[in-house]
Amino acid sequence: MAYQWKEQLDRLMKAGAAYADVRHYPKDDSLFMVMLNGNMLSFEQGRESGFGVRVLADGAWGFAASSNMADITGTFDKALSNARAAAKRLTRPIRLADKEVLSGSFTSPADLDTLSVQRDFQADFLQKMDKALAQKGVSQRISYISAQSKTIEYYDTEGAKIVKHIRELFPAIMVRGKDADGEAQERKYSPPRLGKTRGYEIMKEEHWLPEAERIVRELNQTLTAPRCPHDVRSVILMPDQMFLQVHETIGHPLELDRILGYELSYAGGSFVRLSDFGSLQYGSKKLNVRADALLENSPGSFGYDDDGVKAQNYMLIKDGVLVNAITSRQMVTEANERAGKQIFTSSGGTARATAFYRTPLERMTNISVDPGTDGTLQDIIASTEKGIVLSGDKSWSIGSNREQFHFANDYAYLVEDGQVKEVVRNAAYSGDTLPFYNSLSAVGDESTWQVQYVPNCGKGMPSQVMQLGHGVPVCRFDNVKVGE
Amino acid sequence: MQIKQAVEQLKALRAYAISKNVRATLSLHREDSHLVRLANSGVSLNTSEALTRVSVTAYADKKTAGVQVMCDLADKETLLEAVDKASEMLQYASPLNYSPTFPVIDESSEDRAGYDEGLAHISNEDILAYINTAAEGLENEDIKLSGNFSVGSTLSINLSTATEHTVVWQATDAQITLVLSSLQDKWEINAEQSAARLSDLDPKAMRKRLSFLRDKYLTCEAQQLPLGPCRVVFGAAATAEYLSLLCYLGVDGGMMKRDNSINLKEDIGKQRLSEKVSLIEDPACLDTFAIPADNHGRRRKKKAWYDKGVFTGFIWTQDAADEHGETATGHDVAHLSYSLLPGDQKVNELEELSALAKEGDLLYVPYLHYTGVVNATEGLITGTSRFGALMFKQDGSIVVPYNVRFTEKLGDLFGEKLRWLSSETTVYNTSSTYDARNPEALAVPKLMCCDDVKVEISNKSY
Repeated sequence: MAYQWKEQLDRLMKAGAAYADVRHYPKDDSLFMVMLNGNMLSFEQGRESGFGVRVLADGAWGFAASSNMADITGTFDKALSNARAAAKRLTRPIRLADKEVLSGSFTSPADLDTLSVQRDFQADFLQKMDKALAQKGVSQRISYISAQSKTIEYYDTEGAKIVKHIRELFPAIMVRGKDADGEAQERKYSPPRLGKTRGYEIMKEEHWLPEAERIVRELNQTLTAPRCPHDVRSVILMPDQMFLQVHETIGHPLELDRILGYELSYAGGSFVRLSDFGSLQYGSKKLNVRADALLENSPGSFGYDDDGVKAQNYMLIKDGVLVNAITSRQMVTEANERAGKQIFTSSGGTARATAFYRTPLERMTNISVDPGTDGTLQDIIASTEKGIVLSGDKSWSIGSNREQFHFANDYAYLVEDGQVKEVVRNAAYSGDTLPFYNSLSAVGDESTWQVQYVPNCGKGMPSQVMQLGHGVPVCRFDNVKVGE
Repeated sequence: MQIKQAVEQLKALRAYAISKNVRATLSLHREDSHLVRLANSGVSLNTSEALTRVSVTAYADKKTAGVQVMCDLADKETLLEAVDKASEMLQYASPLNYSPTFPVIDESSEDRAGYDEGLAHISNEDILAYINTAAEGLENEDIKLSGNFSVGSTLSINLSTATEHTVVWQATDAQITLVLSSLQDKWEINAEQSAARLSDLDPKAMRKRLSFLRDKYLTCEAQQLPLGPCRVVFGAAATAEYLSLLCYLGVDGGMMKRDNSINLKEDIGKQRLSEKVSLIEDPACLDTFAIPADNHGRRRKKKAWYDKGVFTGFIWTQDAADEHGETATGHDVAHLSYSLLPGDQKVNELEELSALAKEGDLLYVPYLHYTGVVNATEGLITGTSRFGALMFKQDGSIVVPYNVRFTEKLGDLFGEKLRWLSSETTVYNTSSTYDARNPEALAVPKLMCCDDVKVEISNKSY
């Protein structure tokens, strides 16, 4: 196939293209198994295969994709003609930042590819989880396994040749029950990074059964708990909530395509302006955030992005000050041109596409908060006068420029005068992004730091989902509005 | 894709399944999608996708297992493997505690009334002409155009090994969103359109709305609104968002059984919402891309699920009905086609709201961004205003408000807080493009007015 792709790319260049790349997916396999109240409601496998061609011609992008391998020439031609049509409404010709032309390969770390494991192992696992979750107080119990195994071959007209074998596994368990008021409460567990690999080897009963027991116990605590007070207090975010806070109010607003207005018609923009880089006090001095695509064993580490740029680790926020963004080849050039100065030196290597039939765009890698020096969770609680510990994402809603937010949580307990108090239900909090991060008063140490995985970050049009990660510690923010 | 040829290939696959003693449903989904994306007043992406998906679901006793492949329909090897794989997976599937109904299609049907050749083959040039007309004279150094022009066709074919009959549906659709935004001030306004046929496209209507809002955003004072209750007039997009959530959390029987519904079985026959609310599902409405026959070949019927606020019952898909011992209601389709019937308020256009504000300030909220279900059983929804909110003041002036957040219960918004509904409806396209093309739309009153909607967060700027 490699020869055929090269031949087609050469043909486009001879026809006037300035650049082109092709991503061929010989296979993109998926598995989805759901056990709900003892019934295996979904047991599905999928295979997608095909190719997508991206062409830069007359200063504009054209893209075409097909699942039909018999129509390669027609699809390449379509991409070129789409680019030429797009160029008829062009305000700024697209230029790509320079890159090192690379050939290489990447394979996600997994000892056991979930798609290759005997299906009865997985069915047995779900049955065992279902049995473990079938306890008093639980009206609904759900366990599922979602896995993906895909091969991506990338070629471009600059000479890059990259092969990636991406393997993902996203299992979870969840319980739901009804409280005294008839309202549904829930508690769930999806594992953070558990080691150096994330294949089916992470599905060990000795790990999962205690987690099942814990979420049932915490659900039952919530079912009989009083309602969360409506007031202003410190919030202590556990990693399974902090990751979402970072995702929505640091990750998305720092995507350079959002900052430059490329997502305005759907996902939204960003309150961040180009003039903010190097000066905006995004958070307190305790806040240090990085885009780390080299983090070991995370979906946000992928070797090379879909511009053919090598994965990198760089700071986004240093001592609370905004210093960089989540960037790709196209956007760094445009941002520097629009700013009239060089803000970004090169692509951050974050352009990724979810499937062969979607185009690459800025996606989060592992947007992580560095551990701090404020000790353990217990230390942070001990130094909190009036607070609430929040765990487990239940709902999330964010302003279109990511300037404000509202989150609700599965599990919460109050803190008074440095002591843990009662569990409360229907906990939620809201705030404005910059004042919130500037109220960051404690950042937990390494003992509190976890890498949380995100299987389904949505963005773009046509819409795409992407897998990524967040390394986050326990963090405390002061003067936050709490309550439903 | 030729329908006849595709049906023949699926029938050949059916014959193979029968020869292997596999009881299965077979379905084909074909999309031809085209999307022109705009940003900063230029075309940022122009993309075409031709994708064919074939799904095989095998049945045995109390087990099911499914395989979906995306491939060329001429790739027989992959298709036959899909049947073999689905059959093989059955041995690993855990048995259900009920018997799933195996689809038996009693008669063939072919519904193509929603397919329009002109829309299916709209050219790049015609799309650009539409965009240029809609935005004519509205852009400048500071005000830039963004948007999406998504157009395409969808073909679905369903059959099972039980009979030779096939259920065929084909439709075209377009979903257009155009946004004008200020680089400097960061405000954003939009206009949207849904189309089932080429003649539905009306770029001048888009321009009229964009022009009206642009004028207000350039000339009226911008303001941070105070927190607290206010009278809100929701536009079609916001109403459709709330209505989608009402359908999701209020009408689906499976959701009720999962403790994820605002209604319980004992609520059937009760006055649950305002008498002004009648919600119907109409499988004959072409504007909402309705699918007249479900995957089991059952011809679907129009029905009210809220009749003047009285909840009439739950929708049961076949799987949910089997699991919970209910009777399927004929809703095994890729999407439903809901309409909220209009009211009696003869105020249908944005320009008419000024006169109505004499009774008290009116906050117009056209669109809700990123809604979240805070509490499913309470129907508690949070979301932020976006794309062109206006405050019509009692003194006749108009203020441009910064975005605000509401966290409200569906039962209140469509219940005691509902003040009036417009006398005319419009079609709002709710399609998402995350997965296979699946055009969806709701018919909603053009405007919906609610009292005592509480501003929970009020932005200090755009």
